[in-house]
Amino acid sequence: MTWPAEIQARAEAIVARYPEPRSAVMPLLYLAMRQEGSLTLDGMRQVAGYTGLTSVQVESVASFYSMYKRESVGDYIVSVCTSISCHLLGGEEVLGAVADEAGVPSGKTGADGLFSVESVECIGACGGAPAVQVNYELVEGVTSESGRRLCRWLADDRPQVVTSDHMQAEFGGMRSFEWGPDESEGATGPVPAFGPLGTSGQPS
Amino acid sequence: MTEQILTTRMEAHPADSNTLRRYEATGGYNTLRKALVEMSPEQITAEVKAANLRGRGGAGFPAGVKWGFLAPAEPHYLVINGDESEPGTFKDRQLLERDPHQLIEGIILSSYALGVNHSFIYIRGEYPRPARRVQRAVEEAYAAGYLGDDVLGSGFSLDVTVHLGAGAYICGEETALLNSLEGRRGEPRLKPPFPAVEGLYARPTIVNNVETISNIPWIVANGGAAYDAIGPEGSRGTRMFSLSGHVARPGNYEIVMGMSWRDLIYEVGGGVRDGNALKCWIPGGASAPWFTPAVLDEPVTLDDTGRLGSMLGSGAVVVMDETTNVVAAALSIVKFFSHESCGQCTPCREGTTWLQRILERILAGHGREADIGLLLDVCDNISPGLRWPPAQTTICPLGPSVVSPITSIMKHFRPEVEAMIRQAAPAGV
Amino acid sequence: MSERVKITLDGREVEVDAGTLLIQAAQDAGTYVPRFCWHSRMEPVGKCRMCLVEVEGPRGTTLTTSCTMSVNDGMVVHTASDTVRKAQEGVLEFLLINHPLDCPVCDRGGECPLQDQTMAHGPGESRYVEEKRHYEKPIPISDLVLLDRERCILCARCVRFSDEISGDPLIEFIDRGNYTQVNTFPDEPFASYFSGNTVQICPVGALTATPYRFRARPWDLEAVESTCSGCSVGCRVSVQASQNEILRLLGVDVEATNHGWLCDKGRFGFQHLAAPERLTTPLLRGDDGELHEASWGDALDRAAAGLATIVESSGEDAVAGLGGSRNTNEEALAFERLMRHTIGTPHLDARMGDALDVTLLAAGPRRGLIGDLERAATILVWGPDLKEELPVLFLRVRRAAAELGATLVVVHPRANGLDSNADHIVRYRPGEGGALLERLAAGEGDLGGVRAALDEGPVVAIVGRTGLTEDSNLAGAVAGFAAELSDSSVLAVSRRPNLYGAVDMGVAPGMGPGRVGDDPGRDADGILEGLGDGSVKGLVLLGSDPAGDHPSGTAGRAISQAEFVVSIDLFLNDSNRGADVVLPTAGFAEVEGTMTNLEGRVQKVNRLVPAPGQARPANEILADLAHRLGETWESSAAESLGAAISTLAPYADVSWQALDFGTGRDGIVARGSELEFSVQNVDKSIGNGLSLHLGRVLYDLGTAVTMGPSLAKLAPRPILYLHPDDAASLGVIKGDRVELTGSAGSAVIDAALDPSLAAGTVYLPFNLGTTVGSDPSVTVEKAT
Repeated sequence: MTWPAEIQARAEAIVARYPEPRSAVMPLLYLAMRQEGSLTLDGMRQVAGYTGLTSVQVESVASFYSMYKRESVGDYIVSVCTSISCHLLGGEEVLGAVADEAGVPSGKTGADGLFSVESVECIGACGGAPAVQVNYELVEGVTSESGRRLCRWLADDRPQVVTSDHMQAEFGGMRSFEWGPDESEGATGPVPAFGPLGTSGQPS
Repeated sequence: MTEQILTTRMEAHPADSNTLRRYEATGGYNTLRKALVEMSPEQITAEVKAANLRGRGGAGFPAGVKWGFLAPAEPHYLVINGDESEPGTFKDRQLLERDPHQLIEGIILSSYALGVNHSFIYIRGEYPRPARRVQRAVEEAYAAGYLGDDVLGSGFSLDVTVHLGAGAYICGEETALLNSLEGRRGEPRLKPPFPAVEGLYARPTIVNNVETISNIPWIVANGGAAYDAIGPEGSRGTRMFSLSGHVARPGNYEIVMGMSWRDLIYEVGGGVRDGNALKCWIPGGASAPWFTPAVLDEPVTLDDTGRLGSMLGSGAVVVMDETTNVVAAALSIVKFFSHESCGQCTPCREGTTWLQRILERILAGHGREADIGLLLDVCDNISPGLRWPPAQTTICPLGPSVVSPITSIMKHFRPEVEAMIRQAAPAGV
Repeated sequence: MSERVKITLDGREVEVDAGTLLIQAAQDAGTYVPRFCWHSRMEPVGKCRMCLVEVEGPRGTTLTTSCTMSVNDGMVVHTASDTVRKAQEGVLEFLLINHPLDCPVCDRGGECPLQDQTMAHGPGESRYVEEKRHYEKPIPISDLVLLDRERCILCARCVRFSDEISGDPLIEFIDRGNYTQVNTFPDEPFASYFSGNTVQICPVGALTATPYRFRARPWDLEAVESTCSGCSVGCRVSVQASQNEILRLLGVDVEATNHGWLCDKGRFGFQHLAAPERLTTPLLRGDDGELHEASWGDALDRAAAGLATIVESSGEDAVAGLGGSRNTNEEALAFERLMRHTIGTPHLDARMGDALDVTLLAAGPRRGLIGDLERAATILVWGPDLKEELPVLFLRVRRAAAELGATLVVVHPRANGLDSNADHIVRYRPGEGGALLERLAAGEGDLGGVRAALDEGPVVAIVGRTGLTEDSNLAGAVAGFAAELSDSSVLAVSRRPNLYGAVDMGVAPGMGPGRVGDDPGRDADGILEGLGDGSVKGLVLLGSDPAGDHPSGTAGRAISQAEFVVSIDLFLNDSNRGADVVLPTAGFAEVEGTMTNLEGRVQKVNRLVPAPGQARPANEILADLAHRLGETWESSAAESLGAAISTLAPYADVSWQALDFGTGRDGIVARGSELEFSVQNVDKSIGNGLSLHLGRVLYDLGTAVTMGPSLAKLAPRPILYLHPDDAASLGVIKGDRVELTGSAGSAVIDAALDPSLAAGTVYLPFNLGTTVGSDPSVTVEKAT
């Protein structure tokens, strides 16, 4: 299987941004994940083709990083931080509440493919602990109660796009710092919402 | 002193400090305009050296000295370490999100000084929002002629590529970051060779932290001497501290070093939550040995903190109050390092996980008398002598980092650990 | 000589080579620092941390891995201090906490570095009371290799070998931290020609090879050092057997040839020696037309009588001999004596229509050594796909290009194994090689860069037949060109294991023993032609199967027209199934003698096991035949023949004594003066139709592959590869059946596309069961 022409062009553009093609592995892995919702064998083979690596070399890189999911994941990955600052302020309880509300134990994906719940290490929101991310979009100052509401909202509304600002307003509490202007951009799937996927910002 | 270098703009203009319009309106890129005309690369380097700016990523190495190691063979690369992942640390996130142009101007000035034509900003994968803001700023800077071919007609050219990580703390280690940027597993490299000699694509490379480079525009604008006049010797300039945990007012604070820990925690941070008593705190991120109230009146500087057997590290101060179960807190940190160990060195790969299992067992009420000695001996096999600064049997410092929480609880709270083992105490926070 | 420096090693001042790694320097000085990940032929990674030592420095004594630190003059090193011991014991304990306690059922048990270290330095009992890591027990990662991830200590030797050394990174680390494991991609097996090396260098029993698995314990093995007889590289091996059965071959690290590596065909090919199909008794054709078992006496009588009859009726000229390239020099010399002296025919050839000019093989211009690659600035490979035909030479060229920075030029009709390391790749149609050489020599057009690279010496040129349809004079012309380059050396390569030795022993037309001229005679092509037209009536085959092996595809028919055929062989094959007398002979590790590799390097092969049944060394069989034909040799023993070989000028320095006890493992290069070599005209005619490239692949239908259970399944099925443009114009897509017609017939096979071919060229792998002859001109049609 090969990628659609538009995605192939995107992949080639990503490769071109780096002095050496191998550097494009990480952004291409995101691109591959976005195509199929998780990182499939075929996706890794495609990435190998663009970077001159063998498939297992690509898998070796992919499997090193927590955010490349080689098993299928839910529409929403809910990541609850349990590192020290969040731990001190009840991160484990929030995790428990989220897992309970989502009906998915930590580290697993629900049978209906809606939620994946995971305990994650520090996501850099310690001043707004405990912190949660939904598809890597951040909510700070989450409680067990607001974590449950967050899950219910996701399950009921099934938002196409999740944005930090919206979730923070609805389910968040104390922030690490003033966030600045609201943003409309957000995540459309279990891949970090970063448009160029690691490419340079030269105007296209 | 209430010097402020990094956070002035974002505090004065919370609604748009991240935009090019606001950056320019507040004097941004003027330094670059001037420097490209009036200063040679060597002069910029000289100012950075004179500033005695020490790296803000954790190791505290003088930035100017690091620049001086750059080998002559071209091309050179500058890589910005935005892989902020040390538990307790969230200051680079704020600098990236709230004032990306300050960083970009710092990158352009530094690249000009270092003879770099391609710079990379490596931002951790869990920071898509900061990455988007930086990306947008990079695009604005290209459009305005600050980046790309022939910057502001100076003949100097610079490309900047924003690269998103994908979840690996170890990539904050500079050689692991370079491997990651090359499309490899983020495993630290053997040193030597150091990146300044063989870095990205085996070319001479400078890796600097986001906060470090964000200081460069101010230093170039005001002179290295002005920066060197701020704060105590050895800890010049201002510094971003991330306060978290059981502190009343968590957040990032840009302060001049030299104040006491008491002032930092009680004045700046508003004290301990709910009026509780302070039990201990981590002065510099999860890798740092813990402090207790006995040193509250010691000054917050790199050297004093080192003298007392810990480090300022990434500037993350994690406060723990009297209710804290220190074994559970230590486990949280040990679990972190076990999860984030790259796995290449035997002592770290096996040792971090072994330590985690023992602590889990103690917390689950299955501790054994021999566990305290075992914990310390396993630590000793990762960091021989359990001294500070730590020795290591591993390639990189992640290994000995796991030792800090364990030696800390054994040093300060051993009776609590012993009691837990004896009573088979239930788990708790 | 490299510079020497003084270091203080555990209080003792020693002198070591400057710049060497501490772990190596200490070892050279007699102090062994334990290690798991470090391997002298690969880049150090400092992963296992076992080789920690203390080094004194300006800021006190620091623990450091001795595999990652180079020695400096005045360095003070402690390898056995309390701190070092504690650190090493700590590492060992860490390695053992997740290592299973299955030594009693582990193939590595008894020769396991981890087990040995544990005995020497390990903790008495484990303090680890938690659960060990668990993985599914051994999983096959290829047809030859199994992986037990529980035993793996993550030293990265296999990972590094496949990436750094063999260049086919199919095995890698997966996951991170405590979950890190070694594995292959889920649906891409570890299909490397070199996979066995990873088994050999695995410091534990994580990687095991199916042929050896559970077959023996190391302490039950008998071993002898020998030379691999898989091809003409001459890799040094340790042959190991138990109860008179060879169980494995291990590579031995020799600087001159293999650096310790072997290809899988060389490593596992020994299995064919124990095949049930091995001939164990002489066979005689009976009146019923069938072959029947016979006594040696009867068989030799019949063989001698048959040959004598032909000589009497038609003259000595009517007898010819083919073979000898799979035998020892001693056996080859006996063959030459029988043919040229006892019978008196000049028609003998060890080549099989696929090799090079005899002069080029024996004493070509500027003949070089494999080791020249270490110093080469530029390497020209215009010959066979080395990965397919001379795999360990491929590794050496790859190392020179990838690790040592030599500029590599590869000229070949299609993509080949070296392309990924090549700086210049030139492709051409078989039949156009002569024209290409002219353009290259002139640096015409896009060849200017290649020509310029070849002006940067030292140049090593590896020349040979790129394929079997190509005019054999082309390689000579390329060798002639290369010899004119500045500071160049030339390796004229052909793959048969002891072809060079057989030629040196005079098993070649016009060339007697010791590379001296002799009466002109027929080469293999001429002999087959003679059989066809009746001018040759009697044939002696020594370990050769022209019917299966000669590229013309017509040898079988020619042999069937012979009046009398004697075959000395390990197996029945298409050439000797119709023979009058078939005599069973001993093979690798069953005979003692010498072999000469493609550089002219003479090395010992040694005997470890008896030959099966009544099989005998060929030299004894040949001597008995000579005796029955009226010539009694002074001695038929291999050692006496070896002494006779020492009297040949180029072999003056060579003796069994010197090889066994004198020169060490590097063998002795049989030097001799260069012979007059003249470049012959290269046939430039090429038809308008399609041109056939007939190339060899490592796993073909030869007996070393088909008769061994491990390799037998690895031979691919035959496929015809077409350039996409040609396929399009023929209306052929991948997977279609096509009819290929060549000089010796037609065949219908599957088609596939190969864009690396020059348009107008089709590629057929040789000896996979489809033969259409060796003329370059062919036609292809879509089969209906």
